[in-house]
Amino acid sequence: MDYEITLLTTMSISILFALGLNFVTGFCGQISLGHAAFLGTGAYTSALMTKASIPFLITLPASAMTAGCLGFFIGLASLRVRHDFLAITTMGVGFLFVGIVRQQDFFGGEEGISGISSPGFSRFGFLLLCIALTLLFAFFSTAIKRSWMGRVFESIADDEDITSILGINVAHYKIFAFVVGTSVAGVAGALYAHHLRFIGPDSFGFVESVSVLAMVIIGGVGSVWAVSFSAALLSVLPMLIQFVDDYKLLFYSGLLFSMMRFSPGGMASIVKKMKTNNEKSS
Amino acid sequence: MLYLELFIQGIVQGSLYGLMTLGLTLVYGLLRILHVAHAGLFTLGGYIGVLVTNQTGSFGLALITAMVTVGVMGMGVYKFAYEPLLKRPPFVILIASIALFIASEEIFRIIFGPYGLSYENPPLKGQVEIFGGMKIKVGEIIVIGFSLAMLSSLAWLSKYTRTGMAWRATVSDPDIAQAFGVNKNKVRYLNFFMASALTATAGVFVALLNNLVEPTMGSVPSYKGLAIIVLGGLGNIRGTLIASLLLGVVESYGTIYLGKILDRDAIAFGLLIIVLMIRPKGILGEK
Amino acid sequence: MKSLLEIKNVTVRFGGVTAVDGVSLSLGKGELIGFIGPNGAGKTTLMRVITGMVKPNEGEVILEGKDLSRLPIHERVSSGLSLAQQIVRPLVSFHALDNVILACGKKKTENVLSSLFHKDTSEESEKAKDLLTQVGLADSFYNFPETMPLGHLKRLELARALALDPKLLLLDEPLAGLNQLEARKLSDLIVTLNQKGQSILLIEHNLKEVIRICKKIYVQDNGRFLAFGETAEVMSNIEVQNAYLGKNKNA
Repeated sequence: MDYEITLLTTMSISILFALGLNFVTGFCGQISLGHAAFLGTGAYTSALMTKASIPFLITLPASAMTAGCLGFFIGLASLRVRHDFLAITTMGVGFLFVGIVRQQDFFGGEEGISGISSPGFSRFGFLLLCIALTLLFAFFSTAIKRSWMGRVFESIADDEDITSILGINVAHYKIFAFVVGTSVAGVAGALYAHHLRFIGPDSFGFVESVSVLAMVIIGGVGSVWAVSFSAALLSVLPMLIQFVDDYKLLFYSGLLFSMMRFSPGGMASIVKKMKTNNEKSS
Repeated sequence: MLYLELFIQGIVQGSLYGLMTLGLTLVYGLLRILHVAHAGLFTLGGYIGVLVTNQTGSFGLALITAMVTVGVMGMGVYKFAYEPLLKRPPFVILIASIALFIASEEIFRIIFGPYGLSYENPPLKGQVEIFGGMKIKVGEIIVIGFSLAMLSSLAWLSKYTRTGMAWRATVSDPDIAQAFGVNKNKVRYLNFFMASALTATAGVFVALLNNLVEPTMGSVPSYKGLAIIVLGGLGNIRGTLIASLLLGVVESYGTIYLGKILDRDAIAFGLLIIVLMIRPKGILGEK
Repeated sequence: MKSLLEIKNVTVRFGGVTAVDGVSLSLGKGELIGFIGPNGAGKTTLMRVITGMVKPNEGEVILEGKDLSRLPIHERVSSGLSLAQQIVRPLVSFHALDNVILACGKKKTENVLSSLFHKDTSEESEKAKDLLTQVGLADSFYNFPETMPLGHLKRLELARALALDPKLLLLDEPLAGLNQLEARKLSDLIVTLNQKGQSILLIEHNLKEVIRICKKIYVQDNGRFLAFGETAEVMSNIEVQNAYLGKNKNA
């Protein structure tokens, strides 16, 4: 049973993390290539605070806050730089995060932080917490998508300049998207830290940022349930393909490349295609 | 004296960055692709350099073989990976390129092993004394000289030959260039050939200076390369060269003075973020 | 008559070129003014100064006594300006109706938090359908921009601008690219809007239609003021004739 619980907890945290990025990239059209930095911010916040014997139920919202504050600044930066420039800037934030954490003893340096205390629930209880938070955010996301905010996000993703000509304060919306998306990553990070009980700079590097972006893209940018599904699948994929062992990363990158090359709209577009085909044939 | 030494090291590193990122800029300038897989071609160049030198004993032959082979590979990457995706949103190509790059690292590891290869008999390993008893490796002088020669001949080619003019016309307006009879595809293939051949030379020289090629030698340059071309103002050749040299020098000093706060590889991104917040389109980017 | 829009002494320089040179203009409530000038007269630049897309080197833009000069685009729009651009830019991932609905929801989208708590679109949808019908797109509610001909996109652009309930509607060459019949129909629509009380500043290259529908026109050449007044009067002005005809003769 333990193995299944671990697997499901991992899945749930990944989905939450991916939905956080989906909020920024999928909904609001702002690419982020450094989202793992916010996962890391949350993880380090919670790990360090629990080391100072602050209870998990306080460190969890605190993680959301630190990540969200950092996200606020990235949101400000996104007002200055756009598109490819934003992609590289966010990527830079990711590298900077790892670069700083690695050099500071305060953050445990190269070795990271180990022996992070248990959150005070049973493993099963912790799993339920993860699932509850993930579901909560998934429903929040779908509600947003149907609200006026969802329309505005879609419009910003489509064309920022036009959106402001329609009298909409694009800056406020973009910052809001970044703050929400990064706070959620912070929560996912706190869960991650207490799930694995160990964190280090390498857990939040560029490959993690690319992986989570891949989850969002493979799922189909913007679609909450498809992104959840692809995040669930991709998060456990490394465990499922243990048998290819030495070729794991090759397999993973090959899959990623093929998804981009042959179905760049993601799973959502495959499902859509199948639907329209069915409708045509019926 | 330390200052001067650090400065020279910075220029050497900057020249290598220049050789590598010029190709990235060429690709971005023409097709708006963030070509991460470029660093895979860089590593391939390094491997070919070492393997051919070890087989034949001729470094010159190795350099040329690397340029031609990698150049052709670069055209292949364009043909099979990028061309079909040109109409898709840009992040699709970006992720595809990252995937391709990770795959290339894995392939190098599987074929050549994880520990890397060295020159059996490292060429150009002498040292020359310059003023004040300071020493500089022959290899390093060659790197600076070679980069200068490559870049100036490239500048000359693009200015004074028909092909060069066709290339520049296509960069500034593909439709008009095509209307004047420029073959768009030819220009793209040529572009990828040149870009890849240049990065191959960077790979060969990096392998020479470190006397080591390993599967992951492209991973740091790949992302740093993106930082450099963005710093220079995406697609701007002069800007890229300035940014390459600037970063080389800043890193060289930064490692000494900032080492406690940041590791070397994060300096590039610190510089990048500061510059972009002041000039959102890079050092020489148009407004 | 108290003026609605007041442009004072606006100058715009790009590098060494002066695109707009000390231009002043005022437009009263309920007026339809045609703003004309030969190619390169700086018409579109002035329009962009009004909306805030271009920052002038000097000068002020005042709407109903409120100085807009330092405000960003979206605040100028919420102060009562709206713009239909020369090069139409619909949101391509929205169908025609949704394009207009978004603009109709100005009150709900003005504030981030209020946009979060509003979902209902029935009111905006009604209004958007009404506007699209007014501009003659009753059959194209659910068409996506990429499937619509230019004539329709121009109308969509107009409907979207009207959806913002502007005090002043800025039209930047709405007739460009349309054939004679389409242009005539669209200018008739502009007149109808004006008769209903909409104040309009019409920047247009199509002299024939401007003379037909505007009572007053403003002429600019090479970034400078040339003439302003009743249409017939301005068109008989020698300098205006030279600016247009003189050039055409030489060309």
